[in-house]
Amino acid sequence: MKAVPDRGIIGYTCAYTPIPIIEAAGFVPYRVLPMGDAPDQAGQLLHDNLCPHVKRVVDRAMGGDLPALSGMVFINSCDAMRRLADAWRNVRPQDPVIFLDLPATHDEVANRFYASELKRLADHLAVRAGIDAGEMDWQASVNTFNRLCELLAACSTRMRAGRLAGGRAAMQALYNRACTRPAAESIQELEMLLETHETDADVSPGVPVFLFGNVMPDPEAFALMESCGARIVADDFCTDSRMFSPVALGSDASVFQALAGSIAQKPPCARTFSPKTPGRMAADVVAAARECGAAGVIGHTLKFCDPYLARLPMVREALNGEGLPLLMLEGDCTLRSIGQQRTRIEAFIEMLR
Amino acid sequence: MMKTYFDDLVSGIEAKLDADPASRSPRKIYALEVARLGARLYGGEDRVAWCGVTAPFDLLAAMGVTSCFVEFIGAMLASTGMTGTFLEAAEHAGFGGDTCGYHRSVLGAAKKGVMPVPDFLIATSSPCSGGLAVMENLARHFEKDLFVLNVPQEPSAEGVRYLSDQLREMAAFVTDHTGEPLDGDRFRLAIAHTNRAREIMAEAYRLAQAVPSPANGRLMGNFGIVMALLLGTEAAVDIATAYRDDFAAKVGKQGSGIAVERLRLLWIQNRIQFKNPLVDILENEYGAAVIADELNAITWDPIDPEDPFTGLARRAISIPFNGRIDRRIAHLQQMARDYRIDGAINPCHWGCRQGTGARGLIAGGLKAMGVPVLNLEVDCIDSRNFSEGQLRTRLEAFAEMLENRN
Repeated sequence: MKAVPDRGIIGYTCAYTPIPIIEAAGFVPYRVLPMGDAPDQAGQLLHDNLCPHVKRVVDRAMGGDLPALSGMVFINSCDAMRRLADAWRNVRPQDPVIFLDLPATHDEVANRFYASELKRLADHLAVRAGIDAGEMDWQASVNTFNRLCELLAACSTRMRAGRLAGGRAAMQALYNRACTRPAAESIQELEMLLETHETDADVSPGVPVFLFGNVMPDPEAFALMESCGARIVADDFCTDSRMFSPVALGSDASVFQALAGSIAQKPPCARTFSPKTPGRMAADVVAAARECGAAGVIGHTLKFCDPYLARLPMVREALNGEGLPLLMLEGDCTLRSIGQQRTRIEAFIEMLR
Repeated sequence: MMKTYFDDLVSGIEAKLDADPASRSPRKIYALEVARLGARLYGGEDRVAWCGVTAPFDLLAAMGVTSCFVEFIGAMLASTGMTGTFLEAAEHAGFGGDTCGYHRSVLGAAKKGVMPVPDFLIATSSPCSGGLAVMENLARHFEKDLFVLNVPQEPSAEGVRYLSDQLREMAAFVTDHTGEPLDGDRFRLAIAHTNRAREIMAEAYRLAQAVPSPANGRLMGNFGIVMALLLGTEAAVDIATAYRDDFAAKVGKQGSGIAVERLRLLWIQNRIQFKNPLVDILENEYGAAVIADELNAITWDPIDPEDPFTGLARRAISIPFNGRIDRRIAHLQQMARDYRIDGAINPCHWGCRQGTGARGLIAGGLKAMGVPVLNLEVDCIDSRNFSEGQLRTRLEAFAEMLENRN
């Protein structure tokens, strides 16, 4: 695998970020996760009713709880992300910021536009890196990213079989490291992990549940759910597998069109939908829960997340129609907010037994 | 229920105008045309499209479709005091109280059968994510086809081309549902009406900048955003003309929109749509005239009738709610300069991530040029938690602070 020069770190905050482009330009992609102990200051700029994910990220920016950054990439994924980009420019005017306009729906016209946005990012990064965008080794970058995705998927499979020490919490720690350091380091760690003998199967006797939502990066949150008697048999969050969906360069389209097409095929956040099948998210949740054999579904979304809040009633209705119980939890990116709901989680699991 | 309401409103205003032609004020003409639009939406005879805020209503009018952004219905329900029932219906269906009241009331109205079944829906990604989500919900509820316009954040060449391509596709989508292709002559006429209304509205806004201003909070409330619904029609030209002529006459006589104008205020984003005394308190007790609303401004160039899709795309991208906040702040700063504004009121609509989200940045931007901003904690649709006494105290303190500065 070709080593890429270290030209610095580019921060990002959304699972839709085209990581291979950042890597192809020689930068290390670093997801600014809404974690840490930065003091709560974002309210000076953003209203209280704004997404806690965004506010925690702004807290980190205001509190200086970040590595040295060469720039930031934001995605037009929702209103809150737009306001995050605005706040970031205000708090850290020294950071070059690029904002990618990702359509909410995908078709040929949308992909063509988004390809032009990706090219804009590549050109911007090439200038920052002092290279010609034509010099970027796309195939190497995509290969590296896909290798990382493949290894994480293998670890996840092992985890689901109960053969990963530390279970789902350990898996989340792997995701968190994979999105905050050079891919090569994570690849090395994951290869070593997978080369070791699998631990004996330690499938917890918990009740199988499917977990879905938007942002839940704290490994302890998963440990807490499991401690309530849940066995997480599958999940879908923007802070785990949704970030690491392989991309394809294809052969009959430009690099950027191929990447735009791949991003359109990623497991979607609620902000992305199909006008031809309104409510598809509800069907997707039902299908995922059925496929993994879950006895029930736990949804965890952050407060004030409009894309999810508006679609939860249809998810609830669809699960109800399928006879799949649902527990909805709302959080604020702190473990405390999930911990407060321990009794509800325990009661839900008890009901499923 | 709503059909009767709009029909009664139309006949009531028409009867008053017939009985007393001298009572023909710009606001009455505006109200009449808005009521006529409502009557058409609920009349059951027109082809109807429920839309997002930045849909091209002139193009849809040219294609024989009566269309409206759904937030308008939320505002109408609130203004008639009927929205509580619909908000509760939405909340019972699982739509959380933290979401936008405009959208919740519309979803509740749809569930209660108070929204006419449309022929199709056209969503727009601007101004907000919540607006897109409500349109997906409505399409699912009505089981009608949905078209989505992704409005780019910036007016780059690629962005304008992307949106103009989508507008062409939208026209084809409409044709698929109406069986009528876009007629070039009708489209050109609609664009001519739009450009004429734009020109006259710009004159009216310029006149409103006079000292004292001929405008006031009642005259200008919701004006710019609702006028978008009538663009492409003669009604828009008539309303704009009535405003322009009324303002010109007042300015000629040094007339003021309120009894005595002592302070000049800019209203940011939303008006509070249910009946409330806040503007009256400001204007009657403090002489603080609300002479400008954020959306009462022309942010787009005339549309080239030979290349209308490009012009329509540029217009949709140009609205202050779209794009970076610094663009919006620059727009507000320009308005503050043009209107010689003393202070600004920002009713931070609970549930509005798009607008309210950046209130600190907006307040900072205006403060930097010496314009204080009063941020109010309200829901512009849901009156259930409206705390008049608390808000009155804050308005009073703000007005007194402004007076002391002058």
